[in-house]
Amino acid sequence: MSVNLAVNLGGLGMKNPYTVASGTFGSGREYAELWARHDQYSLNTLGALTTKGVSLEPWVGNPGVRIAETASGMLNSIGLQNPGVEHFCHHDLVWLSSQDVPVIVNVSGHRSNEYAQVIRRLEQEAAVAAYEVNISCPNVDSGGMSFGTDPDAAAEVVVACRKETRKPLLVKLTPNVTDITQIACAVQEAGADALSLINTVAGMAIDPLTRTRVFERGVAGLSGPAIKPVALLAVYRTAQVVSIPILGMGGIRTVTDVVEFLLAGATAVAIGTASFGDPFCAPRLVAELAHWCETEGVRCVSELTRSAI
Amino acid sequence: MCEQSAVNSLAQDHRALVVRIIHLTEPSDFDSKGVQLFQIDLEAGELAAQVQPGQFVHMALPQGSPHILRRPISVYKRDIFTGIVSLLIQIMGDGTRCLSSLETGTHIPVLGPLGRGWNSGNSHSCLLVGGGVGAAPLYLLAEQLAARGAHVDVVLGAATADLLVCEKSYTGLFSSEHVHLATDDGSKGIKGFTTHVVARLMQDCTYQYVATCGPEPMLKAVVLQQPGAIIEVSLERRMACGIGACLSCTFDSTQSRLRACLDGPVFDGREVCW
Ligand SMILES: Cc1cc2nc3c(=O)[nH]c(=O)nc-3n(C[C@H](O)[C@H](O)[C@H](O)COP(=O)(O)OP(=O)(O)OC[C@H]3O[C@@H](n4cnc5c(N)ncnc54)[C@H](O)[C@@H]3O)c2cc1C
Ligand SMILES: Cc1cc2nc3c(=O)[nH]c(=O)nc-3n(C[C@H](O)[C@H](O)[C@H](O)COP(=O)(O)O)c2cc1C
Ligand code: FES
Repeated sequence: MSVNLAVNLGGLGMKNPYTVASGTFGSGREYAELWARHDQYSLNTLGALTTKGVSLEPWVGNPGVRIAETASGMLNSIGLQNPGVEHFCHHDLVWLSSQDVPVIVNVSGHRSNEYAQVIRRLEQEAAVAAYEVNISCPNVDSGGMSFGTDPDAAAEVVVACRKETRKPLLVKLTPNVTDITQIACAVQEAGADALSLINTVAGMAIDPLTRTRVFERGVAGLSGPAIKPVALLAVYRTAQVVSIPILGMGGIRTVTDVVEFLLAGATAVAIGTASFGDPFCAPRLVAELAHWCETEGVRCVSELTRSAI
Repeated sequence: MCEQSAVNSLAQDHRALVVRIIHLTEPSDFDSKGVQLFQIDLEAGELAAQVQPGQFVHMALPQGSPHILRRPISVYKRDIFTGIVSLLIQIMGDGTRCLSSLETGTHIPVLGPLGRGWNSGNSHSCLLVGGGVGAAPLYLLAEQLAARGAHVDVVLGAATADLLVCEKSYTGLFSSEHVHLATDDGSKGIKGFTTHVVARLMQDCTYQYVATCGPEPMLKAVVLQQPGAIIEVSLERRMACGIGACLSCTFDSTQSRLRACLDGPVFDGREVCW
């Protein structure tokens, strides 16, 4: 039995439901080189590639300690360090355009018109297949998560971005709210084609010996298996109230995790933190999903989406 | 595009065989608060053949532990003929403790060789300064320098005599008058820090090349002591991907923000913003 793994994520055709989580994979080059040496994989194994967050101007990111491991998870406070959209177009995108994989560019900004300007610049680039607007990063002071916690502010960013492009527009939401479905509805209304759920969960770490906080900003973002149940619930609840597709992520590490996200309502999934422990996690799970579907008699992976009762 | 030149062009995820674990501190010390050191010998032929002095590997922890990140560890020794790669590790927390209890005969994923190692050029007068477990990442460099007949002085420091676990390796390469020791309690070598020995040596000799690894305050002190020579330092940062993709391991140089895992871990000491 051959299994049809193809999905459509808000207008973005993907040959399988896999991408990588923004910020865990750079622009793909480092992993692509590593994969190539184990010669069975290339970026083309993925349904799409999602880049690190790109902003209008270069951002230096946060000073001091940037990660800490936690039980079954990790905290990060990278702070969206990136060289800016112009550099991104001339370097990362040039290389990506030779890779034969749909590229989702993750977009960040301090103000709604900054997001819009990044997209305006990227519209000149044929290599961009879709956008993922990050209104959910806990690691920056202005912009980031502050947009994603208020339905009106979230809608304002989405409207500004929507005006700039007809390409698929994904909007990435934070779980750090009382009711994610409210934000999700506002974002759908404002013109988003799909939702990415979830960004990291706000958390902190304290060093008992120095009696200081580990991260200079205090707060950092929790990811990895520790947040999977939180992410699954966010996807499940959101899928009940929106009609646009969902890109699910948060702690995915095994093929059964993937299936659970699809059942909860995701159309596609992103592999993030899991790549740090196993750099071949994403391509391995592509193969394992086909096998799982075969064993379970599922002919078409999209049948699974939203089929949990 | 080219600034990401393929530094890690040989890195692979090896399934290394754990050949032996050697506990280097007395078993009685092992559960105490004291420094705990052990050596892991891994069979990984390709890695042994490819690793350059100063490069590191990213080690997965045994399955079933709650740890999701790997641990970066420098290569201490390698034997191209037997394919054995040795690592010298200090127990710092739960991850390194897990590594110390790996069972002989198991396989463990080891990603490497990673990063940019030491570059001593053709320098014929060199000083190597290792503080604590920082003596390990300098050893392959010492071997390289010995092979080409360079004049080398080595300074090794530790809290107590029994923690100077690399001494014999270095005296196997150089006569003992060139291997200088310092302990905090004076139980071996001079009583004091490596930096005291370095200051004395630098009065008598001008080194063309200095390489140092150990606690950051020591690195900084060594760099400030001799502004003239080429000084390379090996920096440690917490790492997630280990290959340059996630920006977890950055530090500031005078030029820009660099990644310890890909642009380093070895850097020009004068370019580091201390
Ligand atoms: C390139 C590189 C080479 C290294 N080579 C060696 C080596 O040859 N031998 C050796 O014993 N150690 C080496 N280290 C340090 C080693 O990686 C850490 O000690 C280890 O990851 C700690 O893990 P843990 O779970 O035991 O400690 P944790 O519980 O994670 O942390 C315990 C303490 O160690 C500190 N720490 C955590 N991660 C690191 C890190 N990556 N670097 C420095 N400090 C850290 C924490 O701040 C904390 O204070 C190297 C680090 C790097 C970056
Ligand atoms: C080191 C790191 C960097 C991240 N950077 C970004 C980013 O630039 N933009 C973004 O939208 N999300 C970023 N994220 C969040 C992830 O894309 C993802 O939403 C989150 O980690 C949950 O998935 P996971 O548990 O599979 O990692 C980052 C996460 C990590 C761990
Ligand atoms: S550890 Fe990921 S960039 Fe260095």
